[in-house]
Amino acid sequence: MPETLTIDALQQWLHRFASEITTQADWLTELDSAIGDADHGTNMVRGTAAVVAKLDGGTTGTVQELLKAVGITLVSTVGGASGSLYGTFFLEMGRNTPSDVQLNGSELENALHAGVNGVIARGHATVGDKTMIDALEPAVTALSQSLADGRQLQGSIADAATAATIGRDSTKPLVARKGRASYLGERSAGHIDPGAASAAILVAALAATIGEGRA
Amino acid sequence: MIGIVLVSHSEALANAAMELALQMVHGAQPPIRIAAGAAGGFGTDATAIASAIDDLATTEGVLVITDLGSAILSSSLALEIRSSTYQALISDGPFVEATTAAVVGATAGSSLADVAAEASNALNAKRTQTVTGPGASVPENTDSENPAASAEERLINPMGLHTRPAALLVQTAGEFSADIELTNTTAGRGPVSASSVIGLLSLAASKNDQLRIDANGPDASRAVNAVKRLVIQGFGELS
Repeated sequence: MPETLTIDALQQWLHRFASEITTQADWLTELDSAIGDADHGTNMVRGTAAVVAKLDGGTTGTVQELLKAVGITLVSTVGGASGSLYGTFFLEMGRNTPSDVQLNGSELENALHAGVNGVIARGHATVGDKTMIDALEPAVTALSQSLADGRQLQGSIADAATAATIGRDSTKPLVARKGRASYLGERSAGHIDPGAASAAILVAALAATIGEGRA
Repeated sequence: MIGIVLVSHSEALANAAMELALQMVHGAQPPIRIAAGAAGGFGTDATAIASAIDDLATTEGVLVITDLGSAILSSSLALEIRSSTYQALISDGPFVEATTAAVVGATAGSSLADVAAEASNALNAKRTQTVTGPGASVPENTDSENPAASAEERLINPMGLHTRPAALLVQTAGEFSADIELTNTTAGRGPVSASSVIGLLSLAASKNDQLRIDANGPDASRAVNAVKRLVIQGFGELS
């Protein structure tokens, strides 16, 4: 596959994210009912469906414009902390991409790092706080490591998805220190964090999209 | 006058807090917008908060007051995505108390920085009364030396110096250029600024407590007389 991600591929990523979220909505909500307010699946389905409607509704121009539109749509439709954090992720990605209709490997890497750093700055969470950062931070670290090791973009994104899954599962024994689950204290241990679960879906959807591009 | 944006997970909660706070002021009211709920349920929405801030475009700055959890997170994103550029601050004060302090402060014409400080300190009044809190901390005020005018008067209000008379006192103090301070000499609390409703509440002044009024400035004696008259008349509560 080419070492670039076109705006079409980015749109495919978002479509795939939306359909995976829909498929796994009940599981996300189940996770959230253990340590939250049992609406993460519903909220993410609503938000990603709005993104798909936005994509289907009209032209998006550059990668920057696409990512900004996705971010604002998620902020206004997901609701609560998840909406602000996913919105920040895409807004920061958009702010840190060249004004173009495609991204090369290092541009994608930079944009993803900027997105994750934006989420960290917004939510003041770090790895181990039992949040989406536990999936996202290892993912972008693995991506950079693999690219630095000379792996192709496709393989590097696959490594990122693996790291996100491991990071997601690492939240299970943790006690939440951020977000509403933190009010539960010790009782939050023993459950995967729903935000880390949806974040792992986001990275897996990117890996699947790029993997498909090669076929 | 500064503007106020109330950010809450619940529209009913925000409306009630606003109504409660507006009980404290008479006449002109500060511009207030509510950004509450998300996607038809409980939650906060950064785009709605950004619109609320932008909607207050003619004001001298905006104080954003938040309730639980994601309200601060959404508000900080809202400050980035709003289209207006005038100053806006997010308060760390408790929702109901900060809303009350901000409405009173804004009505009295205080600056954004002053109102933000009032809202941030809004727990102090409660702390002076609670028996389970981390300890009372009455704000220490300085510069009470050499008052140009002063007087002492006994508080006659059965409920003491509670929020409504305190708000009236702040409004009255705002009419003078002199710095006015009150001390509860009976309880040994103060002096506190008469322009701070939270400070006044922290005096925890009860009926029959002796209040000392100090003023420093060109219209000090008129200011002292005006405040003294309020105290003597029981802040209009006894008629």
